[in-house]
Amino acid sequence: MIEFTNVTKKFDGQFALKDLNLTIDDGELFVLVGPSGSGKTTLLKTINRLVVPTSGTVKIDGEDVADSHLQKLRRHIGYVLQTGALFPNMTVEQNATIQLDNLGWPAQKKHDRVVELMSKVNLDPDQFLNRMPDELSGGEAQRVGIVRALAARPKLVLMDEPFSALDPVSRRQLQKIILNLHQQIDTTIVFVTHDMHEAFLLADRLAVIHNGVLLQEGEPDYLMANPADEFVKRFFDVDNSGTRLLKQVLNAGLGRPVGKDDQAITLQNSQTVYEWAGLLEKNPSQLILVDGAILTQSDLISYVADLGKEPTND
Amino acid sequence: MIDEVVAYVDKNAAAIMQALWQHIEISLIAILITIVIAIPLAIGLVNRPKIGEIISQIAGVIQTIPSLAVLGILIPFVGIGTVPAIIALVLYAIMPIFQNTYAGLTHIDPVLLEAADALGVTKRFKLFRIELPLAMPMILSGIRIATVLVIGTATLAALIGGGGLGTYILLGIQTNNNAALIVGAVLSAILALVASWLIKVLSQFSFKKLGIGVLVVLILGGAGLGWSLFNKPSQTITIAGKMGGEPEILINMYKDLVKQESLQTKVQLKPNFGGTSFLFKALQSDQIDVYPEFTGTVLQSLVHSPKKVNSEPQLAYRDAKNALSQKFHMRYLKPMAYQNGYAITVRQSTAKKYHLRTIADLQRVGSQLTGAFDPDFYQQSDGYPGLRKAYHFQLKSVRTMEPSLRYVALADGRVDVTDAYTTDPQIREYHLVVLKDSKQFFPPYQGAPLMTDQFAKTHPQVVRALSRLAGKITTRDMQEMNYQVTVKHRSAAAVAKQYLQQHHLLK
Repeated sequence: MIEFTNVTKKFDGQFALKDLNLTIDDGELFVLVGPSGSGKTTLLKTINRLVVPTSGTVKIDGEDVADSHLQKLRRHIGYVLQTGALFPNMTVEQNATIQLDNLGWPAQKKHDRVVELMSKVNLDPDQFLNRMPDELSGGEAQRVGIVRALAARPKLVLMDEPFSALDPVSRRQLQKIILNLHQQIDTTIVFVTHDMHEAFLLADRLAVIHNGVLLQEGEPDYLMANPADEFVKRFFDVDNSGTRLLKQVLNAGLGRPVGKDDQAITLQNSQTVYEWAGLLEKNPSQLILVDGAILTQSDLISYVADLGKEPTND
Repeated sequence: MIDEVVAYVDKNAAAIMQALWQHIEISLIAILITIVIAIPLAIGLVNRPKIGEIISQIAGVIQTIPSLAVLGILIPFVGIGTVPAIIALVLYAIMPIFQNTYAGLTHIDPVLLEAADALGVTKRFKLFRIELPLAMPMILSGIRIATVLVIGTATLAALIGGGGLGTYILLGIQTNNNAALIVGAVLSAILALVASWLIKVLSQFSFKKLGIGVLVVLILGGAGLGWSLFNKPSQTITIAGKMGGEPEILINMYKDLVKQESLQTKVQLKPNFGGTSFLFKALQSDQIDVYPEFTGTVLQSLVHSPKKVNSEPQLAYRDAKNALSQKFHMRYLKPMAYQNGYAITVRQSTAKKYHLRTIADLQRVGSQLTGAFDPDFYQQSDGYPGLRKAYHFQLKSVRTMEPSLRYVALADGRVDVTDAYTTDPQIREYHLVVLKDSKQFFPPYQGAPLMTDQFAKTHPQVVRALSRLAGKITTRDMQEMNYQVTVKHRSAAAVAKQYLQQHHLLK
């Protein structure tokens, strides 16, 4: 568990983080999202103390990072940077085993571990282990960066906009790899991105940060459905996000007031038309309740039919 | 020209190889010491940019001081020979290596440094596996610049008795021997190019291999140095000589005579060791044991006696001997017969035409003759200005000329009168006539072995051996031997031995 308590960071008198409180649970894939310059990377770096807060505390499993042995702390935290940041003077294998070298692992164990992880990120060990970083594509380099971060079986991995410099195809592949890996291993991942789609795709929970202030945190669908303020709403670009929410159906003028005998239920998860459609597939006559209005099967049909007529901004 | 150089190399191959090796040795030691100083210094100052800047500035300032001046400044502190030469070279080489290392370390991509920190590597790992390897191309280019610089500057080591290829450059300049000059200059240039290429090749290897390589060289060098120190024969005496052929002939005679007197005494010769004050300081600081010096030089340059130098050679020697003994506790053995003083020469044809025999004769015909003098002679009061006053003569025109050129000009008839040293071989080569100094204006310059009292007391066999030359070797003999060595390019050792044998000084 990572706890930020009243974390404030000033650079040259300017607030980068302002009195920020946040808790990240064990095993979560937690995304810090916000526009560039929002302070999300600064917040990430307070966890492994690359940034020392001006005031406030950061605790990992109850221990203040300010009190821990810095190198020991960092050797047990994986770190993935924007560009891969592989050392150009070392081979792929040497890069991947850096933390293991410093932890004093025996050679064979290091090799086996790296081979195992290489296959998990879809890189052929025989082909790649002895390559130099300048012989790798951006996506390959970043996969090695991920192997390096996971090699020491860390309980916590920090990722600082790891895919922002990649082409869309590589980015999608790597996002899938991260999701798969996260399912397989019991590791907390804190992931920084400015890309809202990426945040939604990856996050168990996410926090929106703007101007050093935590605006809102929660599960992606909840935030989408209930943006705390105009900024969050605009940032998520809810209307054009491609995600269709029940509220949008109401806004389109559909639905009717709740009647006396209506057996309506409220959707539990995403509040999207997709979840609604899935429900109707099993039980076509099911009524649902949204903001005091009732939506029926015919409302969904009308809504989808109308979508084809109006111009979309997608 | 090429034939001359080839012939010169052929004759002096062993000595040239030795000088080349000495040059490599001095340069290598200087570079290794510089690396050991400059790189850790830069590493230590990477996180202290203010101090780093200051050191950079200081290193830069040192580099602007002419290397000769650095050598001069160092002599009182570290003496002469290889050590001050290496210190001066190190001072020079620090700047490029320090600056490149510093720049290499401070220009590493900050993302990589952040990654290293974030992965929790140890300081040692970060320095040796990440920072130094990444800065290595810059560091190596600094070492390359420094090496080329050091090999070039190391030619100046010859000036303070450090040896090396500079000896040939200096010799070439002083004796107008272009072959020697070319050998020294070309070899040092080739050496610089080869070294630069070698470092470029070395830069292909990994940091680890390079480190091991440097370590091996250091250990071997250290072992070699230790071995040579350990194996130094206990009874070695060092005899040095000034620049040029004549001192080299003399010290070879000294060596032969000492060896004859005492077989177990090892003699080390340092020919072309430097100028007067330099040799004298070396003698004072026991870096050398004996060198031949002239009475006139002792009186005029070393003891600075206030009274005029006695023109009577025996009296001049007595004055010099007493002054050296009192002021410096030195023993000045009896001089040889010949004098190597200033003289005035003309062509044989000129002498015949105007019936010139003495300098006083110039009073008569001087206004019809043109003169060319060595710049020093032209200015010094004991040179041309004093001479003119003493003999009351006037020349048609006078100009200054490089010492070696003035003989050629005289022989070619472009000038009629020049100054000369009485034993210069050119007098014989061009059949010149030396005008008699009837008023004994020029101070006597007789050569004799000079050593410290202490050395003379502990080495009676050397004193005995060198005393055999007292009153020997006439001016004509010396001229002939100089001719053999500097014009005919015979080896000084052979010429010396031949003289000693012919005159039954050597059995």
